Amino acid sequence: MSRIMITGMGIISSIGTSLHENRQSLIDEKSGISQLEFYPTAYAGKLPCGEIKISSATLNQKLFSQPDPAITRTGLLVIHAAEEAVRDSGLSKAQLSSTETALIGASTVGGMCLTDEIFHDAHARAEGTPYTSSYDFASATLVAQKRFGILGEVSTINTACSSSANAISFGARLISHGFARRALVGGADSLAKFTINGFNALNILSDKPCAPFDRDRNGLNLGEGAAFLVLEREEDVKGKRIYATLSGFGNSNDAFHPSSISPEGDGPYLSMKRALEKAGINPAEINYVNAHGTGTENNDETESRAMQRLFGSPPPFASTKSYTGHTLGASGAIEAVYSILSLTHQELYPSLQFNNPIPETKFEPLKHYRKQSIQHVMSNSFGFGGNCTTLIFSIL
Amino acid sequence: MLYVHSSNCISPQQTFPETELCELRESENNQLRVKEPAYTNVPPGILRRMARAVRICVGAALPLIQGIQEPDGIIIGTANGGIEDCIKFLNQIIEYNEGLLSPGSFVQSTSNAPAAQISLISKNTNYNNTVTHRGLAFENALLDAVMLLKEKPDGIFLVGSVDEISDYNFNIDLLAGSFRKEIVSNRKLFDHPTIGTIAGEGVLMMTVSNQPEGSIARLNDLQTIHTSDEGLVLETLKQFLKRNGFPRIVPELLITGENGDIRLDKYYQAVEALFPENISVARFKHLSGEYCTASSFGFWMATEILRNGKIPDIALKKGKKTGFNKILIYNNYRGMQHGFMLLGKAEALSSSKQ
Repeated sequence: MSRIMITGMGIISSIGTSLHENRQSLIDEKSGISQLEFYPTAYAGKLPCGEIKISSATLNQKLFSQPDPAITRTGLLVIHAAEEAVRDSGLSKAQLSSTETALIGASTVGGMCLTDEIFHDAHARAEGTPYTSSYDFASATLVAQKRFGILGEVSTINTACSSSANAISFGARLISHGFARRALVGGADSLAKFTINGFNALNILSDKPCAPFDRDRNGLNLGEGAAFLVLEREEDVKGKRIYATLSGFGNSNDAFHPSSISPEGDGPYLSMKRALEKAGINPAEINYVNAHGTGTENNDETESRAMQRLFGSPPPFASTKSYTGHTLGASGAIEAVYSILSLTHQELYPSLQFNNPIPETKFEPLKHYRKQSIQHVMSNSFGFGGNCTTLIFSIL
Repeated sequence: MLYVHSSNCISPQQTFPETELCELRESENNQLRVKEPAYTNVPPGILRRMARAVRICVGAALPLIQGIQEPDGIIIGTANGGIEDCIKFLNQIIEYNEGLLSPGSFVQSTSNAPAAQISLISKNTNYNNTVTHRGLAFENALLDAVMLLKEKPDGIFLVGSVDEISDYNFNIDLLAGSFRKEIVSNRKLFDHPTIGTIAGEGVLMMTVSNQPEGSIARLNDLQTIHTSDEGLVLETLKQFLKRNGFPRIVPELLITGENGDIRLDKYYQAVEALFPENISVARFKHLSGEYCTASSFGFWMATEILRNGKIPDIALKKGKKTGFNKILIYNNYRGMQHGFMLLGKAEALSSSKQ
């Protein structure tokens, strides 16, 4: 079976509106977590978030010659990241719209960023808003389908915080089984009252910038963003710039609790193990782990425990959620991009806000940026409902 | 592609636990809602906390996987998951002005909750996925199962779809122009085509594998396309049929997602016109109502027809009622998302490719 190559990437997050800006922020150890300036919520000024400091109206103007009144912020982020990925890979319009091109998106919020508009429309007050067909999870993917005229397989996945990691593996599997020749894969989520209030009700939002894997961590920061990758078959990419190959992926359900991971990290352990099996490599060959590392009590401890079970002593690891916040359905794709940037530039990005290790495992994430020769990077994404997915990227 | 071994369909009609489609259950206020059965396999404490979509899905799924080998994966298509709880939570956000809220509805509302709950209750740590691709969520969940069976040829997978009506999404879709403005009975849905249809809901869960022995039906091929151009829809169908042996092999029955919405008639008419006059045509939206994963009801009906050998009178649009080996299902959602599924009796299609 031919290998799956990454030939293009696009990203927008609170640490940058392009691949270049995102990488520079990671090198500079510059976090995007701040008090909210744009998103209107009662928690503005209280709960810091990874907010992209560009209004939806500005994004709409930038991306559409005629601003689209029905598009949500999530849809705008999709278009922004997907267009960069397409440009970056050099796919032609004809290639993009071909029946051989798949588009797999992912989102946990979709159009629900428009809380007040949904409330209005759900209670059928006179006329509807322009958004009545934009609230579901598929809406942002469908915006991209229309924009690029994609005629191949198009789908949307929502497995909570592992959504876009599953979108990436789904796209790769479509190619491997001959259902597509190339795939544009990724995900997006924007800040929403729905998630801010939901996570706050669960008491897992921090009032400070999150401190993944720190003994005194007290929760996560929500973020927003989007990232897309272009996947192509090895035989189709001669002469093209190839970033990396998607060498492994693993999916498991933790089957323990709707909103927390089992004490021994069964789901995380299994997803990492299955990804290694798919890649055909040993744990010791992983050079760097982009951890799920949300900064919550439960995640960081159980993820550490799972890494301990798998690696004994883990390779250098970090959580880039300390830069972007937790971008939910986008995080798998955003962190895939960071993992691939690590491989491309042979450099490791550190975790921020780490001071003291978790007493049970004593694991310390990477604290400073460094250059290092690496071949295999693992990226973890674990979600509510126990949905755990691990991706492994490798250089050739 | 795959063989269906067992299935449970909980729908607005009498389809679970026993099937009886002689009498059409009537719609109320342009809605066809599921009559929930008594759930004998789910602990009552867990049932109480579940959103309705999660409940009907778990209720359909658990009896299928008790007493068989552990499924190697669980895949569910759902456009909206537990939309009722989702908007309940949004209501609380507005009503309490983002005050202190209870997380119950938030946790139940995530669209992966049905698949996650099945894994949780059955302690299944295998593959788990939720496809939320609006009008093609069911077809794309099936495609995932097809790929999983290529990756694990001796596996068994639990696959299906669920969507629920809530007053909220009914209102939103009404404003979007999906439903009739005047009240129409599902008995008369096709009598006077005009703009809009009626709402529905339901769940289909199935076990699928590569083993023909003991199967109910075989999914032979599957194709989807996104377009509003009926010419492109027809072109896609022609290629689909060709790779499945057309015109040498012609399905004897076409099941369409015709829903009484005049805006979609052109697609269904064009597809019908492609086939010989003597082909039988059946439809189901007056039984299921329209919802994003309604094609699963058509899929279930096809498997029942292959099992029993005859079409229920209330579903037949034209043609003969018996003698079907191959059934084509065509559904489209809002004229943008089109899906074709070809099913057959296990023996009738086992010699053709894929």
